[in-house]
Amino acid sequence: MTDQLSRRAIVAGAAVLGTAAPGISWAFERDGTRKVLVFSGNQQVPVLDPHVRYDWSTRMIQQGVYDALLKYEGDPPRIVPWLAERHEVSADGLTHIFHLVADAKFHNGDPVDAEAVRFSFERGLRLNAGIAWMLKDFLKPENIAAVDARTVRFTLDRPFAPFLSYVPWWYVVNPRQVMANQENGDLGRKWLTENAAGSGPFRLRRFDANTLIHLDAVPGYWKGWPMAEGERLSGIIYRIIREAAPRKAALQRREADIITNLTPDDIDQLARLPGVVVENHKGSTTFGIKFNCQHGPTADINLRKAIAHAFDYDSLLAIHNGAATLMTSPFPASMAGHIDVPGIPRKDLDKARDFLRRSRFPNGGIELEYVHVQGLEDARRIGLALLDSLRALDIRVNIVGQPWPTMTSRGSRPETSPAMMSIYVTPVGTDPDTVAYQYHRSSWGLYYGTSHYENAEVTRMIDEARGEPDNARRLALYGEIQRRIVADQPELFGMVANRIWARRDYVRGFSFSPVRFTGEIDLYPLWAVG
Amino acid sequence: MAGYILRRIGLAGLMLFGLVCLTFVISNVAPSDPAALAAGPDAGRSQIEQVRRDYGLDRPLHEQFARYVGDLARGDFGRSIATSRSVGTDIARYFPATLELVILAMLMGVLLGVPLGVLSALRKDGPADQATRLFAVSGIALPPFWFGLLLQLAFATWLGLLPTSGRLSVFTEPAPAITGLLLVDSLLRGDIALFREALSHIILPAIVLSLPCLASILRVNRSEMVEALRTDYVVAARAHGVAPWRIVWVHALKNAMLPTLAIIGLRWGWMMSSTVLVETVFDWPGIGLYAVSSAIAGDFKPVMGVTLIVGLNFMVANLIVDLLYGVLDPRLRRS
Repeated sequence: MTDQLSRRAIVAGAAVLGTAAPGISWAFERDGTRKVLVFSGNQQVPVLDPHVRYDWSTRMIQQGVYDALLKYEGDPPRIVPWLAERHEVSADGLTHIFHLVADAKFHNGDPVDAEAVRFSFERGLRLNAGIAWMLKDFLKPENIAAVDARTVRFTLDRPFAPFLSYVPWWYVVNPRQVMANQENGDLGRKWLTENAAGSGPFRLRRFDANTLIHLDAVPGYWKGWPMAEGERLSGIIYRIIREAAPRKAALQRREADIITNLTPDDIDQLARLPGVVVENHKGSTTFGIKFNCQHGPTADINLRKAIAHAFDYDSLLAIHNGAATLMTSPFPASMAGHIDVPGIPRKDLDKARDFLRRSRFPNGGIELEYVHVQGLEDARRIGLALLDSLRALDIRVNIVGQPWPTMTSRGSRPETSPAMMSIYVTPVGTDPDTVAYQYHRSSWGLYYGTSHYENAEVTRMIDEARGEPDNARRLALYGEIQRRIVADQPELFGMVANRIWARRDYVRGFSFSPVRFTGEIDLYPLWAVG
Repeated sequence: MAGYILRRIGLAGLMLFGLVCLTFVISNVAPSDPAALAAGPDAGRSQIEQVRRDYGLDRPLHEQFARYVGDLARGDFGRSIATSRSVGTDIARYFPATLELVILAMLMGVLLGVPLGVLSALRKDGPADQATRLFAVSGIALPPFWFGLLLQLAFATWLGLLPTSGRLSVFTEPAPAITGLLLVDSLLRGDIALFREALSHIILPAIVLSLPCLASILRVNRSEMVEALRTDYVVAARAHGVAPWRIVWVHALKNAMLPTLAIIGLRWGWMMSSTVLVETVFDWPGIGLYAVSSAIAGDFKPVMGVTLIVGLNFMVANLIVDLLYGVLDPRLRRS
């Protein structure tokens, strides 16, 4: 009986697997004669509305289905004309005029005109969500005017030098489609959560926030395509695979053609596989350990400096298998105005002990909390390196992994912000203000302001630089801002990790720009051979 | 009997209210600011305050609770703060995927667990019994998360027999749902290719989900069968020359099934909550994955909604088990 049962079980199991197995796809899919590429990452796209939300995965899809007046391209990143063919700015820096291209069309055939641009910026400001913070303090909705069908004028309340660096993230929506789907005066917010009204190179075919997003390439895209017509893709699928192991397996099995969110060990393994290419580029996402500058032991600047001089910075490079660069300033190297700040701390135990002696804890003997995002292995390992480094000062480190919502909530007030918190920050533009403003008094409580750093002179200089129309004077100000921030040591300036993707070798057109968020790529130039 | 059913339904209602209170309290004591998270990482105070007002988070806690309970009474689970979508609509969208996974896992658990339990009892302390014991202990001890990754590695990466994750290939766009259960819908439409594809995707997560259930059923059924096979009525049946298969599969098993039934009821509820882990590993688009994604985003209304659905499911499953007890055991019916 046992033998019979075992044989039956084996036969039944084999039958089930045999029945199931033919349903698998093995190579990139074709839609007619054209190819469909699959990009896989770990992050979902809960809201597609370009004026409500942005993060790396969301913005990658938004960039695919929408266009903006300008666009970031290349490494180093530069701003290139897109819907706007020309831009003028008044001498006082208050008036910006954009002249639109003549032939841009939304996916439904409506022209992309000045009114569409005006409506889109007004919508972004009125919704007061997502991207609104970039411009709302400098631009009122009523000060955006459609001068004629191809000219839009923006009149700022006061000079704001970073204005152009934010414009590429303000995507233009089709007012007619949006207003036709408005509910209870929501400016189409509910509808645009899962639908698109854009003019971009791809149109939305399928949207499932938790699983996948399927984009179809627009054959007659108004801007044209960078590859030969016969090589243009049929479309691109963004597939969400949350765990690293199955994501890696999907690339190996060609269920995915490009993947991101890889661990350093995965990268080494994938780089050795035939048919797989690892894209490894210097990024702009800074990693720092933010000290609580207002409350607890780390409010003491000498203790902060002691920690910064005791830390083993080489461990950061080792944890990332060398795919990282140590920071030489609070600004990443790709940022305009970046300088190598002289004397930025590196491991020097004599200096560390000297600073400790001058602190309120000359003999150490304290315990400090280090908080990192739960489940983020690199940040945890950096905590271990910190723990090891601070033994030399007789400072104990309590490593705590917490969910991101808990971390941000704790960091919102000086009384609850931990002594040390590991934070990654990706600048949203190339203007130095995007990084400098993290150290402004107004950033207290935001995730990058958990230091609650206060230096009235630094805050004043940041404000001054924002409104300074002369670029040379601006950059000089940012140089001084960087020096002063390093002198105050509100954080342990860590490293900039490389951005890494793995792709099949038949994928072409991959272009990197450090201004994009962590896993984000530009889908527009992608194609495949074979 | 009707009074008994009404009492149980009343009790389930009270428990559900308790669950509502508990989930509301837990969601609100969690050290997190949903409004700040929904407003975005760079949002200023005015943006955060606007989100707070829009979602009534600026109101006193008791007022928020009263509104939440009132909405629930009307069948409204509220809106997700991250997406503005109706939580009820989202749950309705994702629940069929979870239900399909749980039904298949339960079928695997029962259809394999009961016969293996009987086999172990018949071969008590023999090699087959030892083997199933080892299997059952492993089944309960293996963390589903880890076991899932192992299966992916073996069947998807090494053997290349099955897909790594998802409910269907990304290139397949299923027709509008009939029942929402892809295996059933594809058969109803006569679409065998879709059935095979859906089956290839569901096998691994269903195995992971079913293993602890299978192991529990196996062990409980084995011990009950061992007891049942020693009873006087089994000896009498043997003495009367009743066929051995009939003694085992009809007389003994019917009596051994009562505790097994209780385990099945509990495991049904447990499996619904376990989908949180299994669906995350396999990117299975069900309510477990929905709850995890929402929790990571600090979006509590969906988490509360899913918790209530899972709780309700637990209660209904146990109510059905209680009723089935009455069907299987005439003594309970009479009392």
